[in-house]
Amino acid sequence: MVKNGKIEKIGKNLASGNLLTIDATGKHLTTGIIDEHSHIAATSINEGGQNSSAEVTIEDVLDPEDINIYRNLAGGVTAIQILHGSANPIGGRSAIIKPRWGADAKGLLYKDAPKFIKFALGENVKQSNWQSYSRFPQTRMGVEQLYVNYFTRAKEYEVKKLSGKPYRYDLEMEVLVEILNKERFISCHSYVQSEINMLMKVAERFNFRINTFTHILEGYKVADKMREHGVGGSTFSDWWAYKYEVKDAIPHNASIMAAAGVTVAINSDDAEMSRRLNQEAAKSIKYGGMSEEEAWKMVTLNPAKLLHLDDKVGSIKVGKDADLVLWSDHPLSVYAIAEKTLIEGAVYFDIEKDKLQRAAIKKEKNKLIKLMRDDKDKGIKKKIPVKKQKKQFTCESL
Amino acid sequence: MKAYNLIKEIMKTLKNILPILIMSFGFIVYSQQTPAPLQKEVLTISGATAHIGNGKIIQNSIITFENGKIVAVADATTSKIALRGTIIDASEKHVYPGFIAPNTTLGLVEIDAVRPSRDLDELGQFIPNIRSLIAYNAESRVVESLRPNGVLIAQTTPRGGIISGTSSIVQLDAWNWEDAAIKVDDGIHLNWPESYVQGRWWLGESSAEKPNKKYQEELESITSFIVNSKTYGKSTPETINESYKAMQGLFRGEQKMFIHANGEKEMIDAVSILKNNGIDNLVLVGAYEAYKITDYLKQHDVPVLIQRVHTTPEGDDDDYDLPYKLAKLLVEEGVLVALQSSGQMSRMNTRNLPFYAGQVVGQGMDKEKALQLITENPAKILGIDNSYGTLEVGKSATLFISEGDALDMMSNQLIKAFIDGREISLETHQTELWKRYTNKYSNK
Repeated sequence: MVKNGKIEKIGKNLASGNLLTIDATGKHLTTGIIDEHSHIAATSINEGGQNSSAEVTIEDVLDPEDINIYRNLAGGVTAIQILHGSANPIGGRSAIIKPRWGADAKGLLYKDAPKFIKFALGENVKQSNWQSYSRFPQTRMGVEQLYVNYFTRAKEYEVKKLSGKPYRYDLEMEVLVEILNKERFISCHSYVQSEINMLMKVAERFNFRINTFTHILEGYKVADKMREHGVGGSTFSDWWAYKYEVKDAIPHNASIMAAAGVTVAINSDDAEMSRRLNQEAAKSIKYGGMSEEEAWKMVTLNPAKLLHLDDKVGSIKVGKDADLVLWSDHPLSVYAIAEKTLIEGAVYFDIEKDKLQRAAIKKEKNKLIKLMRDDKDKGIKKKIPVKKQKKQFTCESL
Repeated sequence: MKAYNLIKEIMKTLKNILPILIMSFGFIVYSQQTPAPLQKEVLTISGATAHIGNGKIIQNSIITFENGKIVAVADATTSKIALRGTIIDASEKHVYPGFIAPNTTLGLVEIDAVRPSRDLDELGQFIPNIRSLIAYNAESRVVESLRPNGVLIAQTTPRGGIISGTSSIVQLDAWNWEDAAIKVDDGIHLNWPESYVQGRWWLGESSAEKPNKKYQEELESITSFIVNSKTYGKSTPETINESYKAMQGLFRGEQKMFIHANGEKEMIDAVSILKNNGIDNLVLVGAYEAYKITDYLKQHDVPVLIQRVHTTPEGDDDDYDLPYKLAKLLVEEGVLVALQSSGQMSRMNTRNLPFYAGQVVGQGMDKEKALQLITENPAKILGIDNSYGTLEVGKSATLFISEGDALDMMSNQLIKAFIDGREISLETHQTELWKRYTNKYSNK
C-alpha cells in the first residue's frame, strides 16, 4: 500500500475504501533501479579546460527535455546520479535526480540529496588518447601530486578562513574543504590497481575516505584494500578492451569485489545501457556465480548505499519512497519488460499509456506532413529540411 | 683472472634472474588458449534439449558426431538408436549450434585506443582488394572471450571509405588466420553515402543534419566504379587493376555485396543501382528503416543484418523500444534477418549476441525463432549454411552445451563447446585472472 509517496504497508488484502488498486497478478514488483553513474539529462558534461573544476556543478546544466529520461523510466530506473565527465582529476559536482519526466530542471533534483563530486584517474586525465602534451598531469605520478597540492591548498584556505582574517572567497576551495570535512563525497572514475591504491592513500593522509570508485575495473585486484579503506565499487558488468588501462578488466570483477566485502553497484555511463541495468546486474550471475539476490542489490540497495540514500530508497520497505517497478517477468531475466514505473507513488511510465502516445504521435506526424504537402501544392516557399541531432554523452565527451 | 671473475659474476646473476625470466615469460604467453586438436573419437551428447537452430526443438535428444561432422540427430523418446562412442550425459541441459556473428571487426583491433593494435581501416575510397583475413589475429584475447558465451563463428570485416574491402568468415579457435578461415573472401563491403549529413560544427556550422548536396555526385562515383569494374572484367586489360579485379566475384555471383545503409531512401537507391549494374547478391547492414520497405526488400530478395539490438532509437519520437523490435518487425513480414553487433565497443560486445536475441524474445518473438537470428539466418546470409548454423546430419559439429537457456544471461553457462568436432577451451585471459584473484583472497 502506497500513501503520500511512501510505502505505507506491505502485506495481503490491504485494499480497502478509496484506494486505487493495480492488478499485478502474474507480474513481478520491485523497487526502482538506481544508476550511480550516468550522463543523461545534461547539456554538457566536461569542464576540462583545467585539471580541477570543483567550482562547476551538473545541477546548473540539467536538461529536463532529454528523451533519455523517459527511456530510463521505461527501463525501470527511478534515481540517477548525473556525474561530471572524466576529463580532469578533480571534476565537477554531481546532480542526483529522479527521472520525473515532464518536470523542470529543479523538479528533477532529488530533494536534500547528499553532496557528491566526480574525481577521475588514468588515461583520460593524463590526456593519453588525444594530442595533448601540455596540461599537467601527463602521468599517474603527476595525478598523485595534483591531489596533494589541491588538498594542501584547501587546508590552508580553511585555516585562513577560520582565523578571522580577511580572505578571498574561492568556490573551488570551498568545495574541496567540504571533502576534507566529510561533507561532500567523492565518486572517482578509476581503472587500474596502482591509481586506486594511490588515491586511497592520499585520502587517508588527509584524514578522509573515498566514498565510491566508479568504473573500478581492476577493483578485483585490490578488493581487500578497498574493504579496509571502506570504499564502495560501482562498476561496468562486462566492458573492456577499449583502452590500454582496461586490458585486464574482467566481467567477474563485481563478484570478486562483493565476495571480499565491498559494497558493489553496476552502473551505466551510457544512455543505452542505463535502460537495461537489470540485465547488466544479471551478468554477474553468469560470470561470477553471484546469487540472484546479491545481483539485484547491485542496481538497487547497493547504489542507494553508495549515494547515502538507503534510508529513503533502494528496497521495498515501509516508510521508504514508493519508487516501484512492475515487470512482465523475473526482473533479472533478459525477457523482462518494465510495464509500470512509479516515483513516489506517481506513475511516470505505463506501457499501455505509451501505446496510446505512439498512436497520437503518428497521427500528429501525418497531420503535419499533410499540412506541408498542402503548402507545397499551393506554391508556398519551402524551407530546407533540418534534422536535429541529439548529442549523447559519456565520461569522455568534451 | 679478471675475465674469469666477470664470467662468474654474469653466471651468478643469470642464475638469480633466470627463474624470474622464465616466470615472466610464462606470464606473458597466456594470451590465447591452445587450439584444440582434431576430433579423434566419436562423441554422443545424450538427453539434452536440442535447439536445432531452424526453429525446431527436441526435448530429449541424441546428437552424435564423428570426424567433425554431425552423423545423428534423434529424439530419444521416439526413436531407438544405439549411443555410439563416448557418451556425454547432458540431461536437463541445452545444446545449441555455435552462434554466428556477422559484420564484426574481430581480430582487426585488439585495444581501440592503442593505435599499433588497429588494422581496421585502410586509406582509400574504393579498395575492394583490401582483405581482412590476412590481418585477422587468431590469438586475440577479445576473440577467445566470445567463446564462453557460445559465439563460435564470425565474419571479420574491414571498415572505412566507400568500398572498405573484403571480409572473410572465421571460426574462433585457431592457430592462425589460415586455419581460422571457413569461407575466404565471402563479401565486399560498401558504405552507402547518406542523403542527410551533419553540419561541420567544428567550423561553426549547426550540428543539425541537412540535405547532402553531394549525394547525387557520390552515387555517380559509386556507379562509375561498378561500371568500370564490370567493363574491366569483360575486357582483356593490358595492365592489371587490383581494385577492379577484386570486384569480379560479385558479377559472377560468387561473392555478396554488403551494403551498409540505414535510411529508406539510401537502401532503395543502393539496391536499385547495384541490381541495375549486375550485382544481384545483396545484403543490407544496419538497415534501421528497413521495416518501412519490407515489400520492396522481399521483392528484390534482399536479406538484412539488422542494427544492434542494444542501441538507442535514432529519433526522439521513435518508439523507445524500436531497436529492440526491428528484427521482429522484419521477420513478421517475411524478410530474412540476422543480428549483428557493430557500433560502440563492438568487438567486446559481440559476446552479448545471444542476449540481443533474448531481448527480441522480450518483444514477443518465439524463442526458437529468435535463436534463428543468430544461427540459421546468419549462416544463410553469409552463405555457410551448408556446413554451419543448425544441428543437422551432415553439418559441422560446431555446437555447445549450456546449463540453461543460452539466450538469457541468468542461465547462459557453457559446459562444453566444439568447433568442427574439436572440443575447445572455455578458459580465457579473463577467467585466468578471475581464478588468480579469487585464489588470492581465499588463501589469505
